[in-house]
Amino acid sequence: MDQPFSLTSELRDNRLVIATSGYVNNVGGEAIATEFSKHFSGGVKEVVVNLEHSRVVNSIGMSFLIEMIEQLQDVDGRVIFTNLDPAVDKMLSIMGIFKFAGKAANVDEAFGQFDARS
Amino acid sequence: MPRNESLSLKIALPRIPDIELVALEGLDRLARHMGISDDKVGEAKIAVTEAIINALEHSGANTPMVKVEFWMTSKELVIYVRDFGKGFEPTSIEDPDIEKKIGSKHKRGWGLKLMKSLADDFQIESGSRGTKITIKKLLT
Repeated sequence: MDQPFSLTSELRDNRLVIATSGYVNNVGGEAIATEFSKHFSGGVKEVVVNLEHSRVVNSIGMSFLIEMIEQLQDVDGRVIFTNLDPAVDKMLSIMGIFKFAGKAANVDEAFGQFDARS
Repeated sequence: MPRNESLSLKIALPRIPDIELVALEGLDRLARHMGISDDKVGEAKIAVTEAIINALEHSGANTPMVKVEFWMTSKELVIYVRDFGKGFEPTSIEDPDIEKKIGSKHKRGWGLKLMKSLADDFQIESGSRGTKITIKKLLT
């Protein structure tokens, strides 16, 4: 059985890296959005969401992340999803998330994408 | 090496938080026994998760309960998800569009689209005695 949801976050070069573990359901999605909001209000505009240890997600959890994408768009910011399980990658593609967010193999690659953008 | 047999698993799920994980655990065990790799059932896990959540949330039954059945061979997986609610008209559900969701208050409503898109074959039968969803995934 998938373990309960948890997350860690760190700021690197004023970029927020959120790493999740366990099932990203409504509770998990809301926790990610809450963590993001704390830093967004402090001026963070670049966010990485590392889903390496979340192999099960649902669309309700992902809906919270659409709100995050929306807020970042308003300030010309960006979120990049990393370490995606192939099925999660396909799910986000079907939802059209990658029209408004990036994806990368890992956090370092995501930082490279941010560097190339700035 | 995939086994040359068929297996089925039937589960009845009440509406309690994260109960869909019980079905996913069952699917994992079936797949492992059949010698089918995780990546082959990953998309099916997302589809069945969405089907169960939708059924428990929207069936309109007084005491929501969902019956889930997996039928698996080395070549295909068929998933049946049945609720006993009031039913709905599937064609009345508009396909969600991310362009419209951005800026809208309603960000949810992705379940049916995900199920249809992730299935190799998808059927929905709905009436006044409930809704039955059939999701087929090829495993080869």
